[in-house]
Amino acid sequence: MITVFTCENDFTAMFSCIHAAWSSRLGHEHVRLQVEPVEQMNLFENYVHVDADEKKAESVIYAINCKISPAFYAQISYCLGAYEQDTLDTIYRVLILGFAYGEHILSMYQYKDITRFLEISRRYGGEAHSFLEFLRFHCIGGKLFVAHIEPKSRVVMPVAEHFADRMPSEYWIIVDDIHKEAAIHPADSAYYMYYLTDEEMDKLKLTEKENDSYTFLWKTYFDTIAIKERKNPKCQLYHFPIWKRSHAVEFL
Amino acid sequence: MNELTQALSINEKLEILSDAAKYDVACTSSGVDRRGKQGFLGNSCSAGICHAFSEDGRCISLLKILMSNHCIYDCKYCINRRSNDNRRASFTPDELCTLTIEFYKRNYIEGLFLSSGVVQSPEYTMERICETLFLLRTKYRFNGYIHVKAIPGAPDELLARAGLLADRISINLEFPSAESFESLAPGKNFNKILQPMAQISDTIAGHRLAIGKSARMERCGINKYLENSIFSDLKLEDKSHTDLMIAGGSLARDLRRPFAPAGQSTQMIIGASNETDLELISTSQQLYKSFDLKRVFYSAYIPLNEDSALPAPGTPPPLLREHRLYQADWLLRYYGFHAEELLSSSRPNFNEKIDPKCDWAVRHLDIFPVEINKAPHDLLLRVPGIGPKGVQRIVEARKYGSVNFEMLKKMGIVLKRAQYFITCQGKMLYKIPIEESFITNSLVDSNRKENFGILDNTSYRQMNLFDDFRLAIG
Ligand code: SF4
Repeated sequence: MITVFTCENDFTAMFSCIHAAWSSRLGHEHVRLQVEPVEQMNLFENYVHVDADEKKAESVIYAINCKISPAFYAQISYCLGAYEQDTLDTIYRVLILGFAYGEHILSMYQYKDITRFLEISRRYGGEAHSFLEFLRFHCIGGKLFVAHIEPKSRVVMPVAEHFADRMPSEYWIIVDDIHKEAAIHPADSAYYMYYLTDEEMDKLKLTEKENDSYTFLWKTYFDTIAIKERKNPKCQLYHFPIWKRSHAVEFL
Repeated sequence: MNELTQALSINEKLEILSDAAKYDVACTSSGVDRRGKQGFLGNSCSAGICHAFSEDGRCISLLKILMSNHCIYDCKYCINRRSNDNRRASFTPDELCTLTIEFYKRNYIEGLFLSSGVVQSPEYTMERICETLFLLRTKYRFNGYIHVKAIPGAPDELLARAGLLADRISINLEFPSAESFESLAPGKNFNKILQPMAQISDTIAGHRLAIGKSARMERCGINKYLENSIFSDLKLEDKSHTDLMIAGGSLARDLRRPFAPAGQSTQMIIGASNETDLELISTSQQLYKSFDLKRVFYSAYIPLNEDSALPAPGTPPPLLREHRLYQADWLLRYYGFHAEELLSSSRPNFNEKIDPKCDWAVRHLDIFPVEINKAPHDLLLRVPGIGPKGVQRIVEARKYGSVNFEMLKKMGIVLKRAQYFITCQGKMLYKIPIEESFITNSLVDSNRKENFGILDNTSYRQMNLFDDFRLAIG
């Protein structure tokens, strides 16, 4: 019988879950890890919910950093927000290999858990990167910049990291409309994460309706810069598919 | 010339001056990594970031714009030439700065690509460009990417200022020979293009040495494994840097910026003159070798003016040819190929049906198939379907055990192409006759789909920063 350790979709909870599975001593092949909600329960599996526990999470993080390496920790923790159902379990398997063989395990395509991890990690990285490209800020009242995104995975953090470096002295907010979380960045200080209530979400939705005169100028530029003799909507669609366009003002 | 007397709105100027700038193909924001700074706006990421794709499928990364489309010259191929009856406009430095800043804050762009028609004189024009960039870097505290066009004929001192203010500096060669250049750009002198290119190259090298870097620009990491790439015998360190351009005053000290850290680039027009592909890529190779250029861009000529010396308006731009040249250019910069391996005087143009790498491979079947588990870097790189990243992944993975076809697929190797040229532990993927016409036909088939899509324009996509994000250990 497989024991499935489940936890909330949150950083501390996930590392606590890893801790619980590891210390259960059931044997790695008899456990599975999954983030809640668990959509399809299986009769032959035993489900155990794990609560977030900062101490336990910290001890796992500490062990990875010391016994493997900080670079390895950075790589595996980076894509914890990926939407793939098997992300947490795959990371658990990679950790088992990492503790046994060291950080170079991540180049070993010979293990299917490693190729799966690299697959998730690259896809997640690609998803996060795409928001650096087509996220658009609206200026509210000449000072505050608000952007809305609708990612499949939880990517607000890596996206916010980029903008914290790019616009350190501006006030800005990046709102994830799907996961209802936001990165809030006051000018000249660090950004912080914030979970939004439905009421706050509704209010923030209005920001895109604000009139921003530069949107109009941008549309002019966007239309003029295309060379009509080279018109190629297929290629444009390939690089900028419809799903990316919902907040890209040049298409609205 | 239609001189506009009434004041133009910003929107009208933007329309006129971006329309006039769009035939310059470069729009990349790549080549320099720079962190943001408190109190400033912007950073830079060396892989570049695309922000939008226009209707022609090209990436928009920078605000590509002219300072002015007035011009004293009458180049036959250019929309802005003096004899055209166009709407003309000019931006003030502050207008341009505000546009850049406000677009940047909304994440529409990575920075500015500023060029200009020649107003009054090269000196006057370059002065206005420098003034704009200076304001942008100081009053507007802009720390993002700037690509500036150097106006040939402007004094060294101004070019030196531009290099200190910008990340990349470019001068368009336009044509690979003095003959074509001088017949299509009357009043201009080919050597006046080459000379500042050489000086900029020397100045970049000099500045790099002064801050403890090597004189040569950084290239894709794979080049260090290639003994015989076009960059291997570059010896900029040996040059006596007597031709350095110096900015007067205290600009260098005040700005504390490296000189054009993203290097120098240029552009050549394809299809307006009758050069062969061999002449074009040999010229590029020469430019990479002697001036250490970071990029050469190719622009399929779009006939805009009636002129007996040029293709008639309505002639379709040679997009597939342009695409092949970009592919060949990548082979020079990332794959260790030399121009003379790809083309020869008896075969001076690329095959439209098949890409240059596949074309080379089927003409060299005697060295294939290569064994994935043993072949050195440079040989792996020559296999169609395997790129620099693929090579790194293969070499890394085979340290720990043998590599099979399944793993190659996971590494992103395009087996559809590579299968004809490789073995894994002595076996090919399928039983395939190693025979030129069979392989060529199969490859033409896979190329056809791609050419249809272009004409897929992959050359315009910048590299994906996150593809290997944090995955390359060490
Ligand atoms: S100098 Fe430049 S802008 Fe002027 S006509 Fe020639 S190519 Fe065009």
